[in-house]
Amino acid sequence: MSDDSNNTIQEKDTIPFYPDHVSTELRVVMGITLLAIIFGVIGLILPVGLGEPADPMNTPAHVKPEWYFLSLYQLLKFIPKTAGVILPIAAMIMLTIWPFIDRKRDVSLKNRRLRFLVVVVILLVIIALTIWGEVS
Amino acid sequence: MDFFSRRPFLYGIFMVIAVVLLLFVITNKGGATSSTQISESSPGQLLNWPWIHRIFGVDSPSHPASGSVLIPQPPEKDLCLHCHITGEDKGLWTPLARWMLFGSVSLIFIFGVYRSANLWITRSPWKPITLRAAEWVDKRYGVSEPLSKILSKPVPKFALRWWYCLGGITAFLFVIQAITGIMLAFYYKPTPEAAFSSIQYIETQVRFGAGIRAIHHWAANGMIILCIAHMLRVFIMGAYKSPRELNWVSGVLLLVITLAFGFTGYLLPWDQRAFWATTVGSEIAGSIPVIGNLALVFLRVGWNVSDLTLSRFYGLHVIILPIVTLLSMGVHFLMVRRLGIAKPL
Repeated sequence: MSDDSNNTIQEKDTIPFYPDHVSTELRVVMGITLLAIIFGVIGLILPVGLGEPADPMNTPAHVKPEWYFLSLYQLLKFIPKTAGVILPIAAMIMLTIWPFIDRKRDVSLKNRRLRFLVVVVILLVIIALTIWGEVS
Repeated sequence: MDFFSRRPFLYGIFMVIAVVLLLFVITNKGGATSSTQISESSPGQLLNWPWIHRIFGVDSPSHPASGSVLIPQPPEKDLCLHCHITGEDKGLWTPLARWMLFGSVSLIFIFGVYRSANLWITRSPWKPITLRAAEWVDKRYGVSEPLSKILSKPVPKFALRWWYCLGGITAFLFVIQAITGIMLAFYYKPTPEAAFSSIQYIETQVRFGAGIRAIHHWAANGMIILCIAHMLRVFIMGAYKSPRELNWVSGVLLLVITLAFGFTGYLLPWDQRAFWATTVGSEIAGSIPVIGNLALVFLRVGWNVSDLTLSRFYGLHVIILPIVTLLSMGVHFLMVRRLGIAKPL
């Protein structure tokens, strides 16, 4: 925490955890609970539903994984299999060790904008691949 | 305070006792004869069931005549313990609610009388029960000092912006998932023969089963979206930088766990979509260069998705992953708590 000293937060910029911050959190929790109940009521009218029972002998026409693996699945159709698997694993490892690579302290908003741009580009690629996988 | 002083209080108690005695005497007039009449007929059987069977044309309760109305068994013979699940209204909830309401009200009343009398006798100042309970615990375990230290920790004002709530909402969604997941686990059967029909049973027969399953389904998707959103927020704002590197690493671990939750939970309904999604999903794992086959065999417990895969995914989904999640979440929160929320530029 020593190198955080130039970045310390003044006393006047804080609120006590209890009751000020907790009450705000409680409001958020109540909102999410209400949302969950609304989803539950909708689910009573419009159930999540089930498909046909599983049949290992009968492969359906469009086999798809869950939506969050769909982009990866779509990617695997177009690039060689080994590369397509190594790529996400490498990305996950990169993601894990990223704080140890990017060690420079932010001095201006420039770096933040750059990271925002990177995130937007990656998200757009993933969303495009997911939609492509969903319609194909 | 004069109003609650002792003498009017005593008069009040006497008046209540007098009114109760009066009511008892009035209502009990002639009550003795009616109570003997009830006990004379059949004890414990308020309805004349043989007579009801006769007028509805039923020969015997176990073999109803064809075309006649089916009469339920007398209540003491037909306990119907599953009625609260299947929705047949046999009145299991009404007596329970009645007992809960009147029981707790009378307990509160008895406790109030006892407390008032106690205060009056001991001449001690009045304190709310919550305060008394807190003092009782604090006297023994001394929790108030560390607790107030924890609770009075200052939180920066900028942490009230909505994008700082994403991680907290993810954690709360995990709580929702745990509650609804336990509810679903009461009715789910993790075998290929019974899995599909048990989900059908939850969807159609269990009261609010479809709603609970819908919450579990949508909150699972929301948890993944919010996990990624929280991660992107931290990434964009550079909150992962020193000294918070390990916060980030544990966060990545939690994301992987959430995805694993989604992957293992998707198979459990055991319908065509689930089965083939797991098949192609584990195929992706199977094409990892060196350890591919090992990963495939570990996930599927064999070369194909089978009943063993279902058991393994169920075990991972309801036991292993929740334990790992709770541990990682604890570590994640402790580190966030220790270092505080990163100050934005």
